[in-house]
Amino acid sequence: MIAFENHFDLSRGELRKILDAALSRGGDFAEIYLEYRVYSFVNMEEDIIKETAESVSLGLGVRVLSGDMTGYGYTNDLSPEKTGKAALSAAAIASAPAGNRTFKFKVARPGKNVYSAAHPLHTTRLKTKIGLVKDAYLACQKTSPAIKKVKVLFQDQVQYVTIINSEGLVARDARPQAKLACSAVAEKARRKEIGYSGGGGRVGLEYFRRILTPGQVGREAAEEALKLLEAVEAPAGEMPVVLAPGHSGVLVHEAVGHLLEADFNRKKTSIFWDKMNKKVGAPTVTIYDDPTIPSFRGSYNIDDEGTVPQKTLLIDRGVVCSYLQDRLSARLMNLPLTGHGRRQDYTCVPIPRMSTTYIESGGDDPGDILRSVRRGLYAERFEGGQVEDSGKFTFTISSGYLVEDGRLTAPVKQATLIGSNIDILQKIDMVGHDLAFGLQTGTCGKEGQDIPVGDGCPTLKVSLMTVGGRS
Amino acid sequence: MKKKLQTEDLAGLAEKLIVQARSAGADEAQVTIGDGMEFSVDVRLGRVENLVEAGSRHMGLKIIKDLKTAYASSSDFSEHTLQHLVRNAVKRAVLGSRDECAGLPPRAAEKPDIASLALFDPRVRELNAPDKIRLALETERIALEDKRITNSHGASFVTNEVTTILANSKGFAGSYDQTFCSLSVGLQAGGTDDKVEDYWFSAERFFKDLKTPEEVARRAVQRTVRQLNPRKIKTQSVPVVFEPAMTAWLLGFLFACVSGMAIYRKVSFLAGRLGERIGNDLVTVVDDGLKPGRLGTRPFDSEGVPCRKTTVMEKGKLLTYLCNTYAGRKLNLRTTGNADGAGIGPNNFYLAPGTASPEEIISSLGQGLILVRTIGHGLNPVTGDISRGAFGLWVENGEIAYPVSEVTIAGNLEKILSQVETVGNDLEFRTAVCGPTLKVEELTVAGS
Repeated sequence: MIAFENHFDLSRGELRKILDAALSRGGDFAEIYLEYRVYSFVNMEEDIIKETAESVSLGLGVRVLSGDMTGYGYTNDLSPEKTGKAALSAAAIASAPAGNRTFKFKVARPGKNVYSAAHPLHTTRLKTKIGLVKDAYLACQKTSPAIKKVKVLFQDQVQYVTIINSEGLVARDARPQAKLACSAVAEKARRKEIGYSGGGGRVGLEYFRRILTPGQVGREAAEEALKLLEAVEAPAGEMPVVLAPGHSGVLVHEAVGHLLEADFNRKKTSIFWDKMNKKVGAPTVTIYDDPTIPSFRGSYNIDDEGTVPQKTLLIDRGVVCSYLQDRLSARLMNLPLTGHGRRQDYTCVPIPRMSTTYIESGGDDPGDILRSVRRGLYAERFEGGQVEDSGKFTFTISSGYLVEDGRLTAPVKQATLIGSNIDILQKIDMVGHDLAFGLQTGTCGKEGQDIPVGDGCPTLKVSLMTVGGRS
Repeated sequence: MKKKLQTEDLAGLAEKLIVQARSAGADEAQVTIGDGMEFSVDVRLGRVENLVEAGSRHMGLKIIKDLKTAYASSSDFSEHTLQHLVRNAVKRAVLGSRDECAGLPPRAAEKPDIASLALFDPRVRELNAPDKIRLALETERIALEDKRITNSHGASFVTNEVTTILANSKGFAGSYDQTFCSLSVGLQAGGTDDKVEDYWFSAERFFKDLKTPEEVARRAVQRTVRQLNPRKIKTQSVPVVFEPAMTAWLLGFLFACVSGMAIYRKVSFLAGRLGERIGNDLVTVVDDGLKPGRLGTRPFDSEGVPCRKTTVMEKGKLLTYLCNTYAGRKLNLRTTGNADGAGIGPNNFYLAPGTASPEEIISSLGQGLILVRTIGHGLNPVTGDISRGAFGLWVENGEIAYPVSEVTIAGNLEKILSQVETVGNDLEFRTAVCGPTLKVEELTVAGS
């Protein structure tokens, strides 16, 4: 067993040297990001454990800020020659004489621990992980003879980060992350459909024993595929849409979350840039982004700039109240940090990102919400979505139901829904009291960086939305 | 000269790891090493925003013991870590399952002629940072001269230089160097509440092939402003013209459906359909790893199998799936030199061009939609179903009438391929997966 924690074997003197080199051309701020990540993977299909993998990632990134400009260099060779070169690459963004600076390093005291890995997975034996995968696989397979193909994968990793900056901050984190995912193909009368399920988060082995068992994951994937065998084409055109609690949070992520990331507003490319303190949505709509929800996939003790994150109120009863900030945007906009500066890995600069974004519960009864719709769509499971700065966004349902006379009737297949964000926020006319969170398997991509996120929402009704089905 | 030495050092490391894996008990071992240099500059509103310069390495290991497979990878090249990973991979393999199809490919007889593939441009290495920054600044400046452009996502210039080294216990040893460069710009037009946006880019291996700042800027401006003042249209089924970038997107989905991995897993609607007619006469699809200078070109794949030219679909008939060694064995086919990492990837995967010009295709449209962009998810290889958010141009009497937004398109890949009416003559290898303008009989467009 490697003592992975000790892989940044750099003395304070060496760290100072890197920061000095980084500021040698007069940058305002310099930062070192050290990452060591150990990842493990198990994959089962065709009734066998097909492959296992193990991966180690080590690297150091140096960032220099000079006004609104960023210089960045990285290396996975921690020799003084290479780290010095990375620092000089980052330094090149500035063009002034070096300031005379001294750093007093102060190790940040850890805040709330949002991880709950009593039995850490990176020290769990591979045999045990294979056991989890097999349990999910068998549970999926035996749900029905119509299940013809099953694939299960289990991934876990631990990411050690240390952030040191020219303000003297030294912050450390050790972030666990795990994911168990199952896909099932069901076949009947030459028709084939696929269903997915999964879960995980910043958790340990105990999570898969007590909270979300492999059996549950396997059965859910099978049931989703079986349901789709009976599904009809989704309708096409504008209609009321009821969003199921939990998974439908992808709507908030796309319609609101991205466009409240501070960089898009600082650059005035987001439709929200001139709408701070303005009403953009119905009074029933309150939205948070919370990186501190214990054990969630999108949660963290510190962000990738060493800031202790805060639960951030984004929309208060329809009114825009905050952006998601990183250091660069917060400083340039003269706004407080929120702890949302995240990066995929040491090769990337931190940018404002979401963690777990959700719509707060409202006062409506979910049954009443459904009963208020004569003809519409009930969106239940999601594949994902996308938004652009203009506010146009889509999300794709992998399954749902038709709503007829206030009741769920036929299940429907995959369809994409499209809307304009402010228009949709104003059309959320009922919000249930049943907030739930989606599958803990989500990944969000922005500017080529993928990070783990989550979302949530209660039952919601959007009075009118374009549904892209085929019938 | 210095670079050469490093490559030899890394090739030596690869050989050493194979020996270590064999002595730890592996029957077969394969090592890949990537050694890359990256430069990128983003500029916005006339100023440098981000400047990144870095080098990094990566090692990938595959071992097979008793027909059981294990993988490992690392960016930590310390001897301690690498030895641990090698030993552990052999231990992990034992816990896996026997798989009759596991194993490395037999050693190929022929040696690829790397020089003829034109993968490396020394000019890309020689470009200096100020020149690269100037190209990005110039591109954005030209774009912003157009008063209809109201904001900028910025322009970027990126160069990459990558050395790939591959060795295996069957005696394969090979390496190649390649370069990439790209110039791009993203723009917005309209006011805060009626924004439209788009971007354009040029990506090449050789600097001389890169489009000029002027060309990239003009295309980005034209693509952005043509979307101003969009309308929503009624839900209907109409003929649709795919612009080349949209044909490329459709081909990307087709690739996912002819990938041998999806076939043997039976998660593609094309599984079990070799020899069948999937598209009509106009549909010929090729994967070619040997087109000199193209983005998807490489001498050998991630298993050391020489790349080649494979006709996947000829006049609508499905001739073969694209395979790595494993999928080939599962399907009783041959590898097509498409191994990519542990999976399967496209080389230059394209729809063969037809004879009509894009202008002719549009004027033949009568009434219908030109598809210019899609957003979102909504591709299902199991069924071939497609459902995406769409942006387009509405055509009436063969002429562009107005832009369309906030609609979705829905269709099925097999149905689309069997309803191709015209294939354009404008194939350009702008991306590894690509195609010309394409006209199909009918798609469902959902609007109001």
